[in-house]
Amino acid sequence: MLFRILKNSFLKRPKAVFLIFLSVAMGAAVATAFLGIAGEISHKMALELRSYGANILLEPSAVEGGGFLREEDLPKIKTVFWKYNITGFTPYLFGVADFSAGGKKERGVVSGTWFAKQLEVPGEDPSVQGIKGIAPWWEVQGTWPEGPDEAIVGATLAKRLGVIVGKELDATVHGRTQRFRVVGVVTTGGYEEEQLFAPLVTVQSLLQKQGKVSRVLVSALTVPMDEFGKKDPASMSKDEYEKWYCTAYVTSVAKNVEEVMAGSRAKPIWQIASAEGSLLKKLNNVMLLLTVLALVASATAVSTSLMASMAERGPEIALMKAVGADRFQISAIFVGETLIISIAGGVVGYLLGDQLAGIISRTVFNSAITSPLWLFPTAIISALVVAIAGSVAPLRRALLIEPVKVLKG
Amino acid sequence: MAETIIETNGLTRSYGDICALKPLDLQVPEGEWLSVMGHSGSGKSTLMNLVGGLDRPSDGSLRVGGEDLLALSEDGLARFRREFVGIIFQQHHLIPYLTAVENVMMAQYFHSVPDEAEARTALERVGLGHRLKNRPGELSGGEQQRVCIARAIINSPKLLLGDEPTGNLDNKSTIMVMELLKELRAEERFTVIMVTHNQEVAAWGDRTIYLDDGVLVREERMNS
Amino acid sequence: MVALKLIPHLLSWAGILLVLLRGYSERRSVVMKTSITGFTGGVAGAIILFRTFPETIPFGSIKTALAVSFFLLWVFSVAAVYSSTARRVPISRRGRFVNTSLCAGAVAFLAGMVAGAICTCRFPATASNTLTFIVLVLAAGALAYALVFCVRIIERLLPPSFTVSPSGMLIAVVAFLLFSSSSILRLDLFSPLSMKVMKGIHDFVHQFMESILIPDHLFVRSVVWKYIGILFSKGVGFWGGMVIWFTPAFLIVLAVNFERLPSVAHIRQGAQRRKLLAAAIKARRHRLVIPLLSVVILAAAAYQSSFPSTEYWDPKPIPISANQSGEIIIPKKGEVNLEDGKLHKYLFKQGDREARFFIMVTPEGQLTVDLDACAICKPDGYGQAEGSVICYYCKTLIPLETVGKPGGCNPVPVVFSVKGDNVAINGMTLINTWGSTVQATTRVKEGGK
Repeated sequence: MLFRILKNSFLKRPKAVFLIFLSVAMGAAVATAFLGIAGEISHKMALELRSYGANILLEPSAVEGGGFLREEDLPKIKTVFWKYNITGFTPYLFGVADFSAGGKKERGVVSGTWFAKQLEVPGEDPSVQGIKGIAPWWEVQGTWPEGPDEAIVGATLAKRLGVIVGKELDATVHGRTQRFRVVGVVTTGGYEEEQLFAPLVTVQSLLQKQGKVSRVLVSALTVPMDEFGKKDPASMSKDEYEKWYCTAYVTSVAKNVEEVMAGSRAKPIWQIASAEGSLLKKLNNVMLLLTVLALVASATAVSTSLMASMAERGPEIALMKAVGADRFQISAIFVGETLIISIAGGVVGYLLGDQLAGIISRTVFNSAITSPLWLFPTAIISALVVAIAGSVAPLRRALLIEPVKVLKG
Repeated sequence: MAETIIETNGLTRSYGDICALKPLDLQVPEGEWLSVMGHSGSGKSTLMNLVGGLDRPSDGSLRVGGEDLLALSEDGLARFRREFVGIIFQQHHLIPYLTAVENVMMAQYFHSVPDEAEARTALERVGLGHRLKNRPGELSGGEQQRVCIARAIINSPKLLLGDEPTGNLDNKSTIMVMELLKELRAEERFTVIMVTHNQEVAAWGDRTIYLDDGVLVREERMNS
Repeated sequence: MVALKLIPHLLSWAGILLVLLRGYSERRSVVMKTSITGFTGGVAGAIILFRTFPETIPFGSIKTALAVSFFLLWVFSVAAVYSSTARRVPISRRGRFVNTSLCAGAVAFLAGMVAGAICTCRFPATASNTLTFIVLVLAAGALAYALVFCVRIIERLLPPSFTVSPSGMLIAVVAFLLFSSSSILRLDLFSPLSMKVMKGIHDFVHQFMESILIPDHLFVRSVVWKYIGILFSKGVGFWGGMVIWFTPAFLIVLAVNFERLPSVAHIRQGAQRRKLLAAAIKARRHRLVIPLLSVVILAAAAYQSSFPSTEYWDPKPIPISANQSGEIIIPKKGEVNLEDGKLHKYLFKQGDREARFFIMVTPEGQLTVDLDACAICKPDGYGQAEGSVICYYCKTLIPLETVGKPGGCNPVPVVFSVKGDNVAINGMTLINTWGSTVQATTRVKEGGK
């Protein structure tokens, strides 16, 4: 019976129902979009800052080495004191090249690296090192390069050059040209999307920098930095120094790696990322604030339209009361009505918001977005919250209706 | 003599300064058909609302069917209304978006559980077997009033209240409705209180009381 | 700390009490008395078990009790569905027995006993002498008395329309007990259950293939293998376990939902008939509350079992000694299964020197024996978490794959040999390795964590 009443009441007043539906859907859509983007931002931040991702950057120290690190030093990374905490590392060699493909010419960065290289170190177990291991969030459409003339291209660069998987492109540096076959297009959400990635050896010969490496990213399992870790080792007591030395703080691991790579300087990446991180955090807060504001606005809209429809339905409510409905039964009808509308609004709002998040992310942040699973329940819950918050006052009013006054005559 | 179903002592209802019902002592025995007459504003509707648990008195005592209506909570009054009282209004007051049978079922739903078969039977009893699926807008005034009667009696009330049930009806429909009420009363043995300003309608009852400005001025017994 | 850890268990028991008191609203005093005795008895019994037998026996017996109760629940739920769909509703002997004070007392006693035993498992530190034993048991009794008293007060506050059917009582009691036990790794039922399901399915598929029921044809194979792959995936155990876990609760919900409404056809007056019907439906809805709540509790138990709170697996070192030839011999599948992927700690004493070490199998399947200390830190020992072990001193996480390799903060490996089904370690070497590594790192001699 409840459903019959609800169904008929919906069919009879499509306009009022649609208005409420619209405000709920709008609220849910905005909440979904903003929370989705906020979630994506924190997700990317977490990926960057988490202990598994690369967290140590090895660069040539300005003084010695002529601006490059030596490739032959790399295996030594697996022999340092904290070798078991180093879960992976990848060398990079960068150079500016002129790309041409299908008549289009573009200037960009060619970067030589390891994708998944078998590394044999005497006295240690063989391991696989490369981008695949330390950047698991890279989304590659196609496959990872295997042959020496295969390459993956960043999504933005691929778009500019108009290349797709399977096409070939030429990279020219100082008159030398190397032809690459594009086996994958990579989306990373970062500056890597502007680059071409090819096997290190190939790029070394293209750039005439045999045996050289511009930087190394190291990913280490570290202990979160705390007050103790930030202390200056020089000022520690013997006991403290011992503890600091045997704790895998990112700084101590970095120090460790730096020692084996000739002419290098190791920087923990969080130092680089922290400025960016605090900006993102602020942005995140703004998103949350906007979400709350949007939800409040749509709750107000729901409340207003429900109030209006309550006034119109006064006689109906009064009649139900006269026939003997108690407060619970009256509430069940009206809350049931709003709940159904709001669940429908939540679903539609989620679908809209998902699209909206994609558009915003593409236009503002210039990166694709994957909507996480938790967004759906979040959208539904925010729709319900909007509906319930919006229907409190109207319901109160409905319960205060006195049948005698309304049913006069 | 049957038991007393309604008993009031000094029953008063005032809205602010306006006193709609002056202290009233009234007893209605079970099974009686009581007509209440008076001009508009004489307090007859107020009396009916008080007895039906739709309104609360300002003063005095009011016992209906052994229950002290002053002691009941809001939800208690709702329970009293759905289990004890059936009301027929002058303006019908049916839910416009529900069909005839659904309007009856709504009363069942608030009372306990809906039972469509029983609702149909009730409508057939008031002669609307062919109008079950029509909405109130598609029914004539007399038909609407008969839906109201079906709705009022569906929960077997002890007390049937009519607030000028024939006020909007033509002569023919009025007689039909009154005949129907009389028939049903004979079967179900409920007490009837009917507010009217139509002498002829009042004559259908066992007893008529006349209210004027909230005061009971005259009482007359019909001989049936 | 111990008291804090007890709170979820005590709350579970309080939930059981609440349900039983409401369910046996006519036999409250029996339920209260037997509950207190049961709880106290459970604590006492568990302490005695822990004192007289090695840890596996008390844990095993409590786990068995839980498993039996879960099995009973299954039987009961199937029976409940069967009888609710039966045409006639017989007032069975069972129904009458359930309402006797004997049954009420027995249920309350057993539930209290298991709850008490579970609480004891939280700190299986055995009461060393009779005095502490008596004190502990008395404390348990007092606690039980206070708790029962509190629950009785709460129960009075519940609305009278809230009633519990016998099936509701049973499911609630079992659900609360399972929830209570799910947070103790060695009593947990859900994970072993899903493990068993997975093994069962794997064995079944193996047998199936050996009997060549799966055609070995080129075309059929790839398709069939896709489905066999599903059967071999890790999810099978989990989802199979879920089905077994929740089915009784859902059966009981169904049984309550299918309960026949009283026959009202003989009542002539429609209003009266409908009112009776409405009251029956309302009562049935109220009876659904407890089984539905139990589903939530069971879900919480399954969750707790699948994602145990990040407490490190850190068993108490088992004292062990060497044989005449100075060798420590530990069977791979003895009292402790060394190959279950968890680290197992041992304490070896020789004269006044001692060494702590652990044995475990790395994810690659390599058996390894290591000191419970690394070459650099104070020997605070290691605990095991998801995919790694943690050094308690410097809080460094060491990937499981590298346990057994020297260097860094990794535990110091110990030379060992596998002789048949035993692991053999030279006692002297062990003591000396411990001595040389630990001497360098420790100034204050400390025990394990």
